[in-house]
Amino acid sequence: MTELAWGRRYLMCPPAFFSVLYEINPWMHREVSVDVELAHEQWSQLVACLRSAGAEVELLDPVEALPDLVFTANAGVVSRDLFVPARFLHPQRQGETSHDVEWFAMRGWRVRELPEGLHQEGAGDALPFGELFVAGYRIRSDVRSHAELSSLTGVPVRSVELADPRLYHLDLTFCPLDDRRAITVPAGWDEYGRRLVKELVPEPLPLELDEALSFAANSVVVGRNVVMPDCPPRIGRQLEAWGFDVAVVDVSEFRKAGGGPRCLTLALDVAVGALGNVGP
Amino acid sequence: MPATERVEIEGHIVDSLILAKVLDLIVGAGAEYAIVDMAIGRTQTDRSRAVIDVVAEDEPSLERLLEHLQVHGVNRLTDTDASSVAADADGVLPEGFYSTTNLPTSVRIGGHWEPVANPEMDCALVLGATGPRTVPMHRIRRGDSVVVGPDGVRVEALPRAAAELSFEFMASEVSSEKPKALLVRQVADRVRACRDRGERILVVCGPVLVHTGACPDLARLIREGWVDVLFAGNGFATHDMESNVLGTSLGISVEAGLPIELGHSNHLRVINEIRRRGSIAAAVQDGYVTGGVMYECVTRGVPFVLVGSVRDDGPLPDVFTDVVQGVDAMREHVGDVGAALMFASTLHAIATGNILPARVETFCVDINPAVATKLTDRGSHQAVGIVTDIGLFVRDLTTELCGT
Repeated sequence: MTELAWGRRYLMCPPAFFSVLYEINPWMHREVSVDVELAHEQWSQLVACLRSAGAEVELLDPVEALPDLVFTANAGVVSRDLFVPARFLHPQRQGETSHDVEWFAMRGWRVRELPEGLHQEGAGDALPFGELFVAGYRIRSDVRSHAELSSLTGVPVRSVELADPRLYHLDLTFCPLDDRRAITVPAGWDEYGRRLVKELVPEPLPLELDEALSFAANSVVVGRNVVMPDCPPRIGRQLEAWGFDVAVVDVSEFRKAGGGPRCLTLALDVAVGALGNVGP
Repeated sequence: MPATERVEIEGHIVDSLILAKVLDLIVGAGAEYAIVDMAIGRTQTDRSRAVIDVVAEDEPSLERLLEHLQVHGVNRLTDTDASSVAADADGVLPEGFYSTTNLPTSVRIGGHWEPVANPEMDCALVLGATGPRTVPMHRIRRGDSVVVGPDGVRVEALPRAAAELSFEFMASEVSSEKPKALLVRQVADRVRACRDRGERILVVCGPVLVHTGACPDLARLIREGWVDVLFAGNGFATHDMESNVLGTSLGISVEAGLPIELGHSNHLRVINEIRRRGSIAAAVQDGYVTGGVMYECVTRGVPFVLVGSVRDDGPLPDVFTDVVQGVDAMREHVGDVGAALMFASTLHAIATGNILPARVETFCVDINPAVATKLTDRGSHQAVGIVTDIGLFVRDLTTELCGT
């Protein structure tokens, strides 16, 4: 068992303008108000927790009227020194892309865009596992974006169909733990997706649907540390038996928008497939 | 009517089980598929591509299925409307006109596939207020909106289900070495099925029917309602009435099989008498013709189209001497035809094959295997050839359908 080769450097965005202004997933309800102060506190705790686990955190400036910019996981797909910006399905989030692209371009990343007309919501729907990307489709991303992503990054992509609208991004159903293990949510995939992940992941840690709906799979892994929004006892026991340290961080304010710790972070040190530099 | 669409799917479709899923979804929806082309990527990042023909039971089911498959990256191969050009002269097609087949055809207009009502080979497609239709070259009028180029035109291969309706010997198109009793029974089954579907039965007749003594049997088939429309030439109609009036066929006694003295002019005398009366129907009405195939057609109101040729005697007053008008008259009658029986006719069988849609079950019975071969070589691939004596075949078919 080898630790994840990535996940020690993240992009995050302070929740200065975070709120629920629109409803684009089943978790969002405009009548629910966000406690901005509490959100900021929870976000700061997450940053502190990641840093204490050994991760670096870099910051993206928040932008007014872009409340979901905090969910940096959806900014795009990072692969070595390449940034492939997302193509958001909902117009409400499309305004984020220029800010994401600017951040990466300013820091020397190569920015390569997916063809127009396709949707792909960044690392939220494409997570590295082993030598490839596992990518989700149907709810937010088009399956046709996967071949394009593979062409741009040179990394093989495996497509998994997401089957439950409440688990609308892959990162609510899949969390790579190391090179053999991952937290999985079979209930969130169609039959073929389940078969595919079964072949791909030698030691899965499957969540029940109710556990998945507490966003337990939307966790951030930093080496042997797993930062979770919620940890069902049996999951915690298994993770500890495998030698992981579990830290639970309350991000309940972000849950109101359908996001967890993973959604709030974008790994910048992803390097799968052929050898090359990591980052610019 | 079954509907087909050619689609493509590209990406990591093998490793991601997408292809397996798509094929399972097609079958699960009760549709069928054929993989037309498949290219597998060499490396893990190479894309694979499959081109698939999807066949669903009808157009709405196909649309639903394709919409469902789109989510998995399945796209129609042609997704553009048909382009059309106005004809600039009567009887002349614009350059690059789309030349039709006899297969079920649809034209994409305003994003929707519209079926062609009257598939016919070697015609043009004209877009009209009532939808696309086939129009033969000579009937094109200046200003007709004629489809040009292959875009936005879709031809559907006849689905396997339809082919299975035909018998085993569909595999060996033309054969003389088959048990005839079985073939006759199977043709009778297809004719019955056609009538049960409410479709019409067309018979195309050559003069050999009369020479071999098959006319009384064919007349019985008509009398008992097994023929809805008849195509023939001047010769067949003439000899049929000659045998009724004078007992000969081209001067040979139908009863005795021997030449009758001065019989060589019998058919001319009969033609002359029919011409005197103005039409076959008039000759039946005044009692000159009292039996036979043409008589049964007239008395039972079965429409017939007689189209002449360059070597005709007379001809009979009912015969079209302008072949272009003749074929147009035949076209008027092929609309609801579900089965076509070509009996010992070469020219009229091929002419009829040319205007029939491929969905029409066609049986070509002739002692000469070349006839069935000619028919299929000219595009009537649905035709089943039965090589046998026409007199015996029609007798057995009549017994099958009408009893002994």
